[in-house]
Amino acid sequence: MTEFIDVDVRPILRAGGEPFSTIMVALDRLEPGQGLRLYVPFKPIPLFDVMADKGFAHHAAELEDGEWEVLFTPAVAMSQAAEPLIVASGTSDWPEPAVHLDNRDLDPPEPMVRILAATEQLAPGQTLCALLSREPVFLFRELIKRGHQWRGGFTPEGDTYQLTVRVGA
Amino acid sequence: MCCDKEGAAAIAYRSDCLRAHRARKVRVNVVIGTSLCKWTISYFAAAIAWLVLAEALMIAGFGSPNADVAAPDTLVIVHMLGVGWLSTSMCGALFQFVPVLAARPLYAERWTLPAFALLTAGLVALLGGFLALGGRIPQWVLLLPVGAILLIAGFTLAAINLAMTLWQARPLPTPSRFVAVGLVSIGVSVTFGAIFAFVLSGRVAGPPWSAALSVGIPLHAAAGLAGWLTFTAMGVSYRLLAMFMLAPDSDARLGRSAWFAGAAALAILVLGGVLALATAAGWNLVFSLAAASALMSLLLYGHDVLGLYRSRKRRVLELNTQMAAWSLASFAAAVILGAMLFATGSFVRHVDAFIFLVAFGWLSGLVFATLYKIVPFLTWLEVYGPVIGQVPTPRVQDLVAERRARKWFELFFIASWAATAMLLIEAPPLFRIAVAAMTVATLGMAQELVRARQLADVAAPLRLPAGTSAPRLLVSRN
Repeated sequence: MTEFIDVDVRPILRAGGEPFSTIMVALDRLEPGQGLRLYVPFKPIPLFDVMADKGFAHHAAELEDGEWEVLFTPAVAMSQAAEPLIVASGTSDWPEPAVHLDNRDLDPPEPMVRILAATEQLAPGQTLCALLSREPVFLFRELIKRGHQWRGGFTPEGDTYQLTVRVGA
Repeated sequence: MCCDKEGAAAIAYRSDCLRAHRARKVRVNVVIGTSLCKWTISYFAAAIAWLVLAEALMIAGFGSPNADVAAPDTLVIVHMLGVGWLSTSMCGALFQFVPVLAARPLYAERWTLPAFALLTAGLVALLGGFLALGGRIPQWVLLLPVGAILLIAGFTLAAINLAMTLWQARPLPTPSRFVAVGLVSIGVSVTFGAIFAFVLSGRVAGPPWSAALSVGIPLHAAAGLAGWLTFTAMGVSYRLLAMFMLAPDSDARLGRSAWFAGAAALAILVLGGVLALATAAGWNLVFSLAAASALMSLLLYGHDVLGLYRSRKRRVLELNTQMAAWSLASFAAAVILGAMLFATGSFVRHVDAFIFLVAFGWLSGLVFATLYKIVPFLTWLEVYGPVIGQVPTPRVQDLVAERRARKWFELFFIASWAATAMLLIEAPPLFRIAVAAMTVATLGMAQELVRARQLADVAAPLRLPAGTSAPRLLVSRN
């Protein structure tokens, strides 16, 4: 099954920024066989040709509010995979967390401090799982600067934000 | 690898975490988060400068609050406070805070500096226009419409930036809805203000415009002070108080009733007010209905805030939260004062005392309490964010000295209450002494914020570890 790396360029576009370079950087970082999952506020038709030239097939699906999720799958993986478009959308393609933190009862910004301190102790590729009482909006920019990846969201109950961070190389 | 917690609770939590991890229960969403607004600190600094200037003028007896509210000198003080101090600090705080509410970056960070320039230039021109209106600088009444246009441009730029940030985060959580109503209110207030500026400068004349001047002033003031400043502050306080007291606020219903009643009050006031203006009738009915709805909103808000306070997990509150409680007490006192004045038929006579208590005890107190938390936090994030976990860094609370700062806050609140009382008993000399005490407290609190910015209270070994650099006083690196 193809592993997809998530790239969300919606915030960049909304801030008036230019997303193309971010997409290309993410593309350069892909391992052989990995695909790209792109979140965009519109259907990025011009990008399809660019990506086709680079050997990626696309599958675009409209989300709520007219936003789009586009899967770019390497052509080789397309031909090998039995069900190429049913992809991992959770963290199941990441290793089991090596560290668990329950930061729900900590004063801000202590949750962020603990997560960043814990990532410093992990080897590249390892993950940590943290529970928080709210979305750690200021943490993300520090994770970006340090080259880490993360995936997170509120649990269905809505009172806990679960964050998984994978330490970058 | 290590586990953060030992024991049964930790194991139970760990299995939760793993289950969610495997079952993909969480909504996977990779966003960039938010960052520091470069000019927020500049907004705060300018706002405090306007406050000190207004206080100095009040001490000097300029624009006596006992005089007619529409007297040009009074208008200078009122707009220095309403636009210069409160709106500028509110905009600066919202540029930082709305992205946190929306969990996404500000729509256009690059608009924040032009908005700041337009607001400041617009206020300077407006104040010049008022001075000309009062005959203090001759022949410069044209500055009024010039100031109004610049202020419209500045507030529009700020409001669109904030509104677009919120728009992208739909559906809006309740605190954001308060801010959205606040943004509409500033639009209403500025529109009326611009009409006045054109009428007062003689640019437009005739019955509809002069009628707007007589009936529109309460709408202009209510939309600005209640809709924009108070309603926005209420919404923001839901999230800030929950955050700082570690109180649960994930219930989507929290604040919804207060929002509905408050939004209804403002809608009745503005729509009914315009209708009353057009038909020249029904003004008292509109005002009574709006006041009743507003009172309902404030009671519901008070109930919600007490609920947050009771359900807090943090037992010992930090100075900023304690002082926010003092400002909320001032707010409650202002509501009671307003109701009593209204009931005794002396509201118009003592409207100065009521507005003073709202502007200083409630809004200024809350702004200072909030600044005392967010200035150290933003400074800490700016300086130490890049090296957290890599080298020993101070905590946010190491950037402040609460025991030393407390006396300035206490002096500010007590002096603002005393000044309100002096307005009620119509004792101008004593009022000016109370304002002088407020000014000392203002300067003391400003000094504490400067010290936080300079990392002056951080122990030397931790102050600037390798990989960090000292922050600039008035601008953040982002």
